[in-house]
This record gives sequence, C-alpha cells and structure tokens, in this order.
Amino acid sequence: MATNERKDITEITVFSNGPLKVSGNFKLTGSNLKLIETGNEIYLCRCGGSANKPFCDGTHKKIGINDKNV
Amino acid sequence: MDPRERKYSNGEITVYWKPRECIHSSVCYMNLLEVFNPRKRPWVNMSGASTRKIIDVVNQCPTEALTWKWNDEEKNKTVTEADTNHIKFKRPHDFEKKEEDSILEVEQDEPLKIRVMKNGPYIVEGSYVLTRADGSEINMMGMSSFCRCGNSNSMPFCDGNHRKTGFKE
Ligand code: FES
Ligand code: FES
Repeated sequence: MATNERKDITEITVFSNGPLKVSGNFKLTGSNLKLIETGNEIYLCRCGGSANKPFCDGTHKKIGINDKNV
Repeated sequence: MDPRERKYSNGEITVYWKPRECIHSSVCYMNLLEVFNPRKRPWVNMSGASTRKIIDVVNQCPTEALTWKWNDEEKNKTVTEADTNHIKFKRPHDFEKKEEDSILEVEQDEPLKIRVMKNGPYIVEGSYVLTRADGSEINMMGMSSFCRCGNSNSMPFCDGNHRKTGFKE
C-alpha cells in the first residue's frame, strides 16, 4: 500500500509489441543527465528501431519486439 | 561516499563496486560466476579469471555499479570509450564528485527520473505504477532498467542483451 499518497502518480504502461507510455510527473534525461523532456505524456521506443529515439515513431510495427515471453 | 563501496585488485586492474548503483541485472554473475559470486565473501574474487575476461564482464554492467581501471596510471591515459563498453567511461573519482547529480537521490514528490543510457536501457528511478503488457499493475519503487533495444528476454526489463546484439544509439 502506498504510504504517501501523491496527487500526481507517475505511470509507465508497457504496450505489447509497442512503446512505453510514461505519464504524470517525470524528468527524462540523456546518459549525461542533460534534460530532454519533463512530464506530461511521452511514448518511449522499446523496439530499438525508431528514427526519433528515444521516442517511438511507429517503426515497431515493422520490426517487432522480443515480447514473446512476457 | 558510500561506506559500502569496495575495490578489488589483481595487481593489474582494480574493480570498483558501488552498491548504490547496482540494479541487480545479474549480468556479472551470469557471465562470470568464478569472479562475481554474490553468495561468497568477498563477493568478487579477482583470481577467478583473466584480466581480459574480468574487463569484458565489468563492461557489461548496465550501470556504473562495476567499473575498472588499470593500476598503472600510464595505461589509463590511453583508455578510450572503445576499450570499455561503459556508457561513458568515468574513473571512479570522476563520479564521486558528481554525487549531487546522482539519479539515486529521490525525494518525495520529485519527478520520476528516466535516464536514456547510451547504447543501453532506460534507467528509471522513483516510485510509479507499472502496467505490464498483460494489463497487470505493480507499484514500483527504487531503480530498474527497461529494455530499449527490443531484444531482452525478460521484457520489459533490460537483461544485458543489448551488449550481445550491439545496440547502438
Ligand atoms: S517502440 Fe515504437 S518505434 Fe520503437
Ligand atoms: S536494452 Fe538491455 S536488453 Fe535491451
């Protein structure tokens, strides 16, 4: 049970054979910790093939994701 | 500095372990149990394999929990990103200074931290609700890494496979 109720709960949703949806309060940075984007809603590439990484651009439909053993 | 940090040497290289960075990806002991055995104390046995092998496995650590450097400072000068699969080669003293930037310090009501690792996963830290592909929901807290190369065998999490498939980004 969540002990500290927060008004803005951040959620990550995994789409089967698709991206990760992140919604709520977040901060997206590169490995160098440089800010890329902050909340509200983004779709992050999970297939490795997007031409607009880290964001999803729909390429997963063409190349697929190793999601069989989820 | 975290008092739990350790270093291990075989005379040629020193391996540094920062437990606070460890996300338990299991990459180290799955690949080289002779050296990295979490059930033993000390858990790192530097005489269990060749220097080359140890370097290879340390380079596969998805975070900077395990790093290494040559004991011979001269040799470190020539180490480039090509010699290490590390996201970004940093000597241990380099990141000690940057502790205040650490994504590990989560405060309440802080935004969820998502870090896009070069050639590797997303490292997520904070508390959030995860909805998996099958619709099940889990309350998550702490640090975990999500696959971004498409090839993990334990989706949605990274299992280190991005190294094998040579994911570059
Ligand atoms: S998940 Fe959509 S482009 Fe990669
Ligand atoms: S990013 Fe690590 S296995 Fe895909």
